[in-house]
Amino acid sequence: MDLTSSEIDGITNVALAGRLDTEGVGAVELAFTATIVPARLPAVIDLGAVSFIGSLGVRLIIGTARALATKGNKLALYGAGEAVAEIIETTGLDELVPVVATQAEALAAVGG
Amino acid sequence: MAADDVRAIRIDAVTAVFTLPNDIAAIEAGRRALFDFLDAGSLGGRVVNRIEVVFEEVVSNIVRHGFAAGSGQSIRVTATAGRDRIVLRFEDDGIAFDPLAAVPRPAAATLAETVLGGLGLPLVRKLAAATYHDRRDDAVEPDGFRVVNDLTVAIARE
Repeated sequence: MDLTSSEIDGITNVALAGRLDTEGVGAVELAFTATIVPARLPAVIDLGAVSFIGSLGVRLIIGTARALATKGNKLALYGAGEAVAEIIETTGLDELVPVVATQAEALAAVGG
Repeated sequence: MAADDVRAIRIDAVTAVFTLPNDIAAIEAGRRALFDFLDAGSLGGRVVNRIEVVFEEVVSNIVRHGFAAGSGQSIRVTATAGRDRIVLRFEDDGIAFDPLAAVPRPAAATLAETVLGGLGLPLVRKLAAATYHDRRDDAVEPDGFRVVNDLTVAIARE
């Protein structure tokens, strides 16, 4: 599980690559939250290179989005493939955070 | 038994039986063993993903909640490739627990109302075409494998 991050116009952009399964979440959880939460900026997450997401991955995203929300910031997801998108919808994660196709849409969703 | 030590018990054209050690690290080895048996190419991406999610959620739930850490216990997985369904059966001798008995929490309307955790087994139920749980109360098989929990999950082919 790999994580890369950048800042785009005051928004944290995090790209994840690999499997967000039990092992993958364990490997990336600390870096993921440490990159996003202390920055106190809105955040967008690129899921385009994530091949699998399980319940622990969904939980990681919800927990991080909730921490951002306490400071008035939003988190959005973009680029999810079909397999990941099905799990996002099945767990109802898409009803809690914006889930869009492109980075531009995600930046617009959290920056407004 | 090493964390990645998956033991094949029986494999034929339609059924594979193997055991996994009680260790989170065994999930990946188990997933590979499962797809050494199942022909992922013939199943389609959505079905493969559902199988992977069900396998991940059930095994990780058993390892994290069903056993004491380092107990040395194992999980027996039976995969059956049927004409219309892939059926996964998970048997273990951990703490007696009916994973299908829990009532799913109502969906939270906001992030603030969301309760973290407890997503995995409801997700399994939603992805499955059918689920069945049997508490076996320490049934001991002829090969010595002791069974307490017996969960079967069927995933539909498309």
